[in-house]
Amino acid sequence: MQNLSELTRRLIEAQVEFVLIGGFAAVAHGVTLVTRDVDICCRFSVVNLMRIQKALADLHPVHRSRPELGLALTPEQCAGLKNLYLRTDLGVVDCLDAVLGVGDFESVREHSLELELPVGKCRILDLEALIRSKEAMDRDHDRVTVRQLREIERRQRAPGPDAGPGPLGN
Amino acid sequence: MRVGIEPESGPRARETARGWREPTDQGLDLSLLEESLAKTPWERMQANDDALRFAEALRAAMEKRRAEPE
Repeated sequence: MQNLSELTRRLIEAQVEFVLIGGFAAVAHGVTLVTRDVDICCRFSVVNLMRIQKALADLHPVHRSRPELGLALTPEQCAGLKNLYLRTDLGVVDCLDAVLGVGDFESVREHSLELELPVGKCRILDLEALIRSKEAMDRDHDRVTVRQLREIERRQRAPGPDAGPGPLGN
Repeated sequence: MRVGIEPESGPRARETARGWREPTDQGLDLSLLEESLAKTPWERMQANDDALRFAEALRAAMEKRRAEPE
């Protein structure tokens, strides 16, 4: 049973240093397309990767490309990692150390904003950077997402009755 | 307990009643977008999960149906 909100909650609770990116970030901004995975950009430090491992430990995490391989990171393995593509009982979590069109984790963090969710604080890629990343990917569904993100951006900037409810609807 | 289909209200219903849809920009369904923007980010994330679970249930029902002998 997929539950991307719960996956996000677990990452927050485990104090993983991450920025929500990709389709789920677009959903949080207001995009109506349904997404099937949680994409995060995170610091690929040993401490942070171990936090991810701990957060997902009881969800039977496996490497997506090699499902026979459970997630069992050692500090030595963490050193060489750039990406981590995982499948869990609650859905897919893709962890990246950089975002196309935006840059490495530091740049991504710089272009993020903090959301106050009922389950805790969560950093999310800002609209402008999310648009850039989706344009850089340029797949069919990315183009549809960009159209919606641009409309959301337009409404947030527009004064008067056409204005959106403010940044991220809060 | 209320049973049955409730008449829709809100912008979508008004569009249907008029027999036309709100002008869309490059194929965007603006009423759906507005519905989404009226929610909080957490509500949007949970709505995505609800949609995923519904799709999963549909898929399971279809597979079960296919597996049944005719």
